[in-house]
Amino acid sequence: MKHNQHTKTNNFFIKQTKSDWLKRLGDRRIKNKFNNIFFDPIYFQNNRKNISHNKDGEWAITHKIKIKNSLSANSEALKILNLGVNSITFINADNSDLNVLLKNIQIDIIRINFEKVFDVDKFIRLFHKFCIKNKINSNNLQGFINCKSLTKDKYFKYKKILPNFQFLKIKTINFKTKSIQKYIDFKNILFVHNVDKNMIEEISFLRSFRINIEQSKNISPFIEAIINTKNSNYHNLIETCSKSITAILGGCDSILVNSKIRDTLKIQQQLILKYESNLNKVSDSLHGSYLIEELTNSLLDSKKNNFKLPFENNYWAGPEEIKLKSKYDQNDTEGLTHTKYGVGIPPYLRGPYLTMYCDKKWTIRQYAGFSTAEESNKFYKKNLKAGQSGLSVAFDLPTHRGYDSDHLRVFGDVGKAGVAIDSVEDMEILFNGIDLNNISVSMTMNGAILPIMAFFIVVAKKNGVKLKNLRGTIQNDILKEFMVRNTYIYPPNPSMRIVSDIFNYTSKNMPKFNSISVSGYHMLEAGASADLEIAYTLADGLEYVRTGLKAGLDIDDFAPRLSFFWGVGMNFFTEIAKIRAARYLWTELIQEFNPKNPKSLMLRSHCQTSGWSLIAQEPENNITRTTIEAIGAVFAGTQSLHTNAMDEAISLPTNSSAKIARDTQLYLQKETGICNFIDPLGGSHYLETLTDSLIKNARSYINEIEKVGGMSKAIDLGIPKLKIEKSAIQRQSSIDLNKSLIIGLNCFKTKNNKKIKILEINNELVQKKQIKKITNLKKKRNVNKVTKLLDKLTSCCRNNNENLLSIAIEAAELGATLGEISFACEKVFGRYQAKTIMNTGVYEKKHINNKQFMSARKLSDKFELNNGRRPRILAAKLGQDGHDRGIKIIATCFSDIGFDVDIAPLFGTPEEVAKQAVENDVHIVGISSLAGGHKTLIPKLINSINAYGENKIMIVVGGIIPKKDYNFLYKSGVSQIFGPGTIVSQAALEVLKKLTDGIN
Amino acid sequence: MELIDYLNGIKNNNRYIIAKAISLVESTLKKDKKKASELLDRCINISNKSIRIAISGNPGVGKSTFIEALGSYLVDKKLRTAIITIDPSSTVSGGSILADKTRMKNLSKNKYAYVRPAANDCELGGINQNTRDTISIFETAGYDVIIIETVGVGQSEIDVRSITDIFLYLTQFENGDVLQFIKKGILEICDFIIINKIDLDLEKSKSLKFLIENNLKLIKSRSQSVFLCSAIEGNYIGYIWSGVKDFFEKNWKKGKIQSIRENQNINWYKQRLKKQIFKKIEESNIYKKNIKKLENKNFKNPNTLLLEIIEVLKLN
Repeated sequence: MKHNQHTKTNNFFIKQTKSDWLKRLGDRRIKNKFNNIFFDPIYFQNNRKNISHNKDGEWAITHKIKIKNSLSANSEALKILNLGVNSITFINADNSDLNVLLKNIQIDIIRINFEKVFDVDKFIRLFHKFCIKNKINSNNLQGFINCKSLTKDKYFKYKKILPNFQFLKIKTINFKTKSIQKYIDFKNILFVHNVDKNMIEEISFLRSFRINIEQSKNISPFIEAIINTKNSNYHNLIETCSKSITAILGGCDSILVNSKIRDTLKIQQQLILKYESNLNKVSDSLHGSYLIEELTNSLLDSKKNNFKLPFENNYWAGPEEIKLKSKYDQNDTEGLTHTKYGVGIPPYLRGPYLTMYCDKKWTIRQYAGFSTAEESNKFYKKNLKAGQSGLSVAFDLPTHRGYDSDHLRVFGDVGKAGVAIDSVEDMEILFNGIDLNNISVSMTMNGAILPIMAFFIVVAKKNGVKLKNLRGTIQNDILKEFMVRNTYIYPPNPSMRIVSDIFNYTSKNMPKFNSISVSGYHMLEAGASADLEIAYTLADGLEYVRTGLKAGLDIDDFAPRLSFFWGVGMNFFTEIAKIRAARYLWTELIQEFNPKNPKSLMLRSHCQTSGWSLIAQEPENNITRTTIEAIGAVFAGTQSLHTNAMDEAISLPTNSSAKIARDTQLYLQKETGICNFIDPLGGSHYLETLTDSLIKNARSYINEIEKVGGMSKAIDLGIPKLKIEKSAIQRQSSIDLNKSLIIGLNCFKTKNNKKIKILEINNELVQKKQIKKITNLKKKRNVNKVTKLLDKLTSCCRNNNENLLSIAIEAAELGATLGEISFACEKVFGRYQAKTIMNTGVYEKKHINNKQFMSARKLSDKFELNNGRRPRILAAKLGQDGHDRGIKIIATCFSDIGFDVDIAPLFGTPEEVAKQAVENDVHIVGISSLAGGHKTLIPKLINSINAYGENKIMIVVGGIIPKKDYNFLYKSGVSQIFGPGTIVSQAALEVLKKLTDGIN
Repeated sequence: MELIDYLNGIKNNNRYIIAKAISLVESTLKKDKKKASELLDRCINISNKSIRIAISGNPGVGKSTFIEALGSYLVDKKLRTAIITIDPSSTVSGGSILADKTRMKNLSKNKYAYVRPAANDCELGGINQNTRDTISIFETAGYDVIIIETVGVGQSEIDVRSITDIFLYLTQFENGDVLQFIKKGILEICDFIIINKIDLDLEKSKSLKFLIENNLKLIKSRSQSVFLCSAIEGNYIGYIWSGVKDFFEKNWKKGKIQSIRENQNINWYKQRLKKQIFKKIEESNIYKKNIKKLENKNFKNPNTLLLEIIEVLKLN
């Protein structure tokens, strides 16, 4: 692979301008009407206006309190201040006792507002007195008093006492410069803006409003965004979130949300936007966006010269260690070469299609599947009826790992976290009554890909669907399984051979089917930073391309059918930049294979909002998180999207939580007007700088992988796994140290014991049903024929003389089960065994000055002194659940704290883990459970340990455990349970304390 | 647990009690140490015909994979196999990661196998008193083969040699000068050299075998065998095992193994005594006082200080 060619792209592709775009579009031109002017959905670099304001990225979180009596209003105020509010509006303050009302409230560090004051004169007098009495300098106070009738005299009188207060409230919509008395200083006016649903127009309006006043009055106005919602219950979180983002990107000074939702959720939504999505870091973050600047400009009354105010460079670095400034302008994007590229033509920086959502909205594709094929089928049909546009099948873990439901190793995993599919018959039920001619189906399958593809194809044929019409996607991305997800079956080499057989088959027979979905999602979920996610996903893609070429395919035969799957996290702008950067880099990489079809260079994306960003505390906040991430994915130009349900950090989604998740997308498509625009943020100096940095970082990671000979080799050396895990541990430690804030977890915690309904699968029942179906199937099929074909499959694995998928299809038709087909290959290929290489010392390095960490370490030293050896823990996963990020973080952090940490091999049965625990004579067994098998697997583990002799081994459980299962587990003998978002050093400390108590 | 419970449990091959007994000999508590030595007194049996094998080699050469392959071969033959692995402890936190079982997946679940990872307690290479005591426990429990895996650093090869019957050294072809990767001393003390990972490049592996065999001819003192192997594919494992077994049987018949073990025992006790005595010296006031003086940079006559220690402790 030649690397020096990377630079060639810059000049290779054509720069795009608006007229190019229009020419290509022909008569399909779409227009938006705004402020009586027509706008195109997209604008380009060459006609960029450059106008900015100087409002910084912070906004006040305002909350209204109606005063009934001073005492209760005071306690309410104190409560919400604790929740994170920094601006309070009291209503009806006339007759209240200020000494009581404002007791313990630090009015000099928040904004303090008073609405509906009748006798303003008297009130201000009393307020002033209060300030003097409490030694507060009223000159410094900020806030607002609504004065209905303001005369010149009064104004000057008030202003003398409270120079930084606002006394006049004016709606932005009604604002006309003339209507305001000349003597009133603009800083004493509160502008309120009712935020509308249309995101792009509103952002532009707010910007232009501020710029207009800044330019004419030389002062920046104070704008309060009012967010009203009529939506009921949780749905209004979607609306308020989307409107808040609008207000923030438009540059509001304060946000007041009027909705019936609980105060905590309302307030935490703002905190999440600030601290998790980092929207308070850069001011006027859309400055430079071609579209937004165009709209802004059209609204300006007077076009003065572009003005610039000095600003400070406060550097802040995200997990990608890209240093960010507090403001970006044209100096930052000057000289960036990627910005000249456009949409619909290589390198597809701003989107793969010319018209994007104007023509075709993204596919709402919710990933789902649980228990049996019958149940999942019902669920799919209901969703399709409710507006979902594509299916995405989740399989259970035994299916992923190539085991039938009656296999001895899979007890406890059947029907959990996905649907159990054992044969063609199950697949037939799964798609019963669903028109595969029209509905595209995406299947998350990598390990047992041969039987699943075979079943799918057989069912399509049976239903009379022509293979060439089959639309959909098979994940088929085995490389990342070895890096992060661990649902592989065979070693890398034979696995890649299967991939190439799938390419071969689909390119010949299923031209509309995406034969692979190269996935970064699981890397993000495993803790990878954005640049690592891009780099390793694209490097995986490169490896697949080479595999296809090696198999004799032409690049244009299969490259257009490669699709990509990204995770979208909370770091709003970085996530948008990530997908734009990926599109650009992919073109750059594929370019070197000299394709003829420009579609070979096109990166199409499916996105899923991040599951790791969801937490179990205050699960309703996850609606906010998912909405932010969904907006990010849409601004990035995704082709399809899955939005997570709010209870995903606890269990599988219920009907109602799944509805909210789906409605989030419907809201964005139908209400916000986002679909009328193409890459609306494109050109923003901030976004383009980020895009550039990510391109550069990712490119260097890709080169690192190429240098060792490509991804297969790098995986063998353990490079990507180690890097991702390191990034995960770093992220964990920055959460543990409160350097990364997660609302409700490590800051602004609340005590919410409200239980939300969750879905439970009775896996023993599912297993019984599945076993019955398998037994029946095995009775009625022709055993000789099946055996003959399975033998043929085995010999083909050995001799490599035929396409494995073709034989698997024949076998499936005759009734061979998933387990049988997998095992026929396993006989030759073997089962892959993961190597465990660990990062140690990473957590320690960041925690060396942390009190909690050091006291945990001291306690572990003390333990050794008293017990003759170090505390010893076996870190294990049970069953087929391969998500090992959590357990690895625990292992390295605990060893850094001073534990001897044994690690159990993945995919162990309870009996096997018990044997290891007993042999190693550990004090503690730590189980991480993420796939819902805990209620069957953990009691079995405890029984197996007990069978060896008197049991003093302490059992600790972490991962996704619903609150209502806690008691069950405690009763079974579990001594501690740690939910998602536990601070690791805190957990270590608690475990050690309990252990010490238990021994003494 | 009483001594007799330990002993009976070990003799009955009770996994749980064996585990507890190993923890007892690993313990640093005084009361545990006393109990452990009483237990070991009743365990030791030199005439036991279990085979003690040491396996060493540079990091990354595939020791765990080799042990998984060899061990799986042995347990398939229903030979009870114990594996002791030693992992480094962090000198800062004292903690460690013992991930050996993840690389010995089959053995970790097989009922004929017993895998016990141990942290090295910050001793270089990690072979210490506990390792030897653990062997005794496994032998008392009737294990047929005992394998000790150690990382090839510094003193550890010599140490592990001194508690085992047979020494297997794993190596692989490298680009560049192959023999630099095998320390000279090792060729002299090992019984078998295994060239692993021949699946990666058979030709290079063969030429490495040739080179090593030539080198061994120069030493001449003993006869060592060189084997090719691909642990990951399980090739040549049976062949290696019959070589190891023949070597053991031949030397057992000659009484060589027994006499080696006797010598090892004597040396072992000497060493242990030395350690104890040195510990006593370390704890003495005169030693502490003089060492403190020594550490003072301006001090000029260290020899007189040593003399003083010897004098006071009546060591001469």
